[in-house]
Amino acid sequence: MKIVACYKVVPEEQDIVVKGDRTLAFDKAEWKIGQYDLNAIEAGMQLAEAAGGEVSALSIGGKMVDNSKLKKAALSRGPEQLYLVADDALNAADCYSTAATLAAAVRKIGGVDLVLCGEGSGDIYAQQVGAVLGQMLGYATLNAVSKVTAQGDNLIVERTLENEVEVLEVAPPAVISVTTDINKPRIPSLKEIMAAGKKPATTWGVGDIQTELGNKTEILSTLAPVEADRKMIILEGDSDDKIAELYEHLRRVLA
Amino acid sequence: MSKLANVWIIGEEIPAINELTAGAKTLGGQTAVVFTGDEEQTAQILGVNTIYYLGTLADKILETYTPSIIKLVMTEKPNLILVSNTRKGRLLAGTLAAACGTNVLTDITEVVAVDNGVQSQRMVYGGAAFRTEKSTNTINIACVGAGVFECSELPASEKVVEVEFVAPSVSIKCLKKRAKLGEKVNLAAAKRVVGVGRGLKAGEDLKMVEAFAAAIKAEMGCSRPIAEEEKWMAKERYIGVSGVMLKPEVYLALGISGQIQHTVGVNQAKTIIAVNKDKNAAIFKQADYGIVGDMYKVIPALTEKFQK
Ligand SMILES: Cc1cc2nc3c(=O)[nH]c(=O)nc-3n(C[C@H](O)[C@H](O)[C@H](O)COP(=O)(O)OP(=O)(O)OC[C@H]3O[C@@H](n4cnc5c(N)ncnc54)[C@H](O)[C@@H]3O)c2cc1C
Ligand SMILES: Nc1ncnc2c1ncn2[C@@H]1O[C@H](COP(=O)(O)O)[C@@H](O)[C@H]1O
Repeated sequence: MKIVACYKVVPEEQDIVVKGDRTLAFDKAEWKIGQYDLNAIEAGMQLAEAAGGEVSALSIGGKMVDNSKLKKAALSRGPEQLYLVADDALNAADCYSTAATLAAAVRKIGGVDLVLCGEGSGDIYAQQVGAVLGQMLGYATLNAVSKVTAQGDNLIVERTLENEVEVLEVAPPAVISVTTDINKPRIPSLKEIMAAGKKPATTWGVGDIQTELGNKTEILSTLAPVEADRKMIILEGDSDDKIAELYEHLRRVLA
Repeated sequence: MSKLANVWIIGEEIPAINELTAGAKTLGGQTAVVFTGDEEQTAQILGVNTIYYLGTLADKILETYTPSIIKLVMTEKPNLILVSNTRKGRLLAGTLAAACGTNVLTDITEVVAVDNGVQSQRMVYGGAAFRTEKSTNTINIACVGAGVFECSELPASEKVVEVEFVAPSVSIKCLKKRAKLGEKVNLAAAKRVVGVGRGLKAGEDLKMVEAFAAAIKAEMGCSRPIAEEEKWMAKERYIGVSGVMLKPEVYLALGISGQIQHTVGVNQAKTIIAVNKDKNAAIFKQADYGIVGDMYKVIPALTEKFQK
């Protein structure tokens, strides 16, 4: 089975700076793989390990996705190779453009049986790209998948919904978005990180793949909310006296 | 305020559908619901000009009807489709968006009609910012949760139109459906909430926190990892951008680091109190009162004092 796991490179939230005019600055931000996309990579690895197959990782975004630390972060988690579409034209791609670019990349990779997405991207968390991508490719498309196993040529998946669990049999090719509890992503060893540097990575620009770029939504503004003023009375240490002091504050608040 | 000519609603549960309909009526002229399910349920769909009825879910899943819905939408071209943000709703919204050449506005907290489209707001970067977006495509789609629109009294719907079935070209076979066990909780109504995070070392230790919550008459909530990863508490109890958003009078964060995705769910609380052993934890910058200490020492001690 040929599996492609999709991950998005997102800014570390704690490094995002709110400026005086409430807009956000990302110049100091470290970039990382979206936390929940690690579950997609891990799901691909576990499926390939159990049923045979080959896992590739795929990410699209601005030039920053083509960074050796990030590439190692993806490849050290098991995939045999990596595909990137790294182009600053993709910096502000919405879910539609993102899915269109991923669809073009999946077609160019060719012969893909299963595309795995995370539950949602770390920054936007729209939980949409997998659905849009699946329809664009004309593949069987499912989300909320909490278990996936191979059975012959088909996949048996469990889908955890609000009030019930569906057990479904899906014929590939398919696009599946997995939940965050489907697995515990492995933590790569130093050896795996070293080895990752030697695995093949292919980087394309937007011009190298057949895709139509063009956002369908227009962003008018992205502004930090005004934060509430907090008293910040912090007691240091859990001695009996400090606990008694906290109790007095609490008692007043709860009165 | 501008109005749209046609606004449609797609949802699974009747109360959610009727809530979206109440909102749809403030945004547009003609309204319609696209529905799969039992006939009795169909009769409870109120307030719309048309109910497009697809069929039952007895031997099918909603996804079986996706091609039928796409064909209907592409023929009728409503200006806006409001989709209830359940798991299936999200999938359908994205699938429809790909077919119609639009981008879904997800988890919006606010939406207004503007010239030939809609403008909406949602949280991004885990709650660090609000983003205002505009969608002015032929067909626009928004995924909307509960509480965005106010319910209103709705008259009976006018007519039911049966929709022609279009067989899917992909193969997804339902082998089994099983009910999920879960508790129903309504944290949003609680005035006092105790939230517990990864500082908890084992599921059994929840007893200690429960005793404390009971002593101060608070409801129990948690951070996402406690529900999603450890599964020590129900998913309905995790607070934050992807969980429940609260506005209690008092919030007590125990062993919670205070990352934005969590705190955005409680930052409207009147008073925030934090217990964390790390004095640099982000939660202290967002707290009114706090103690740098071991919750395993602080919580039982406080419980005892409150029980007196
Ligand atoms: C797209 C996205 C959406 C998300 N949505 C949500 C959401 O809705 N809600 C949510 O909660 N999270 C959400 N998260 C996860 C979030 O980023 C954090 O990972 C999570 O909130 C951390 O939970 P925590 O504070 O319990 O754990 P940690 O960050 O691990 O913090 C545990 C804290 O406990 C303290 N501690 C440890 N032992 C003790 C002790 N004995 N006594 C006192 N303190 C102790 C530690 O000092 C630490 O600060 C989301 C993440 C992403 C990427
Ligand atoms: N730029 C991207 N590159 C690769 N995969 C992506 C990208 N954006 C989103 N995805 C995938 O789509 C999923 C859902 O993203 P979203 O719809 O933005 O929440 C993510 O968990 C990823 O698996």
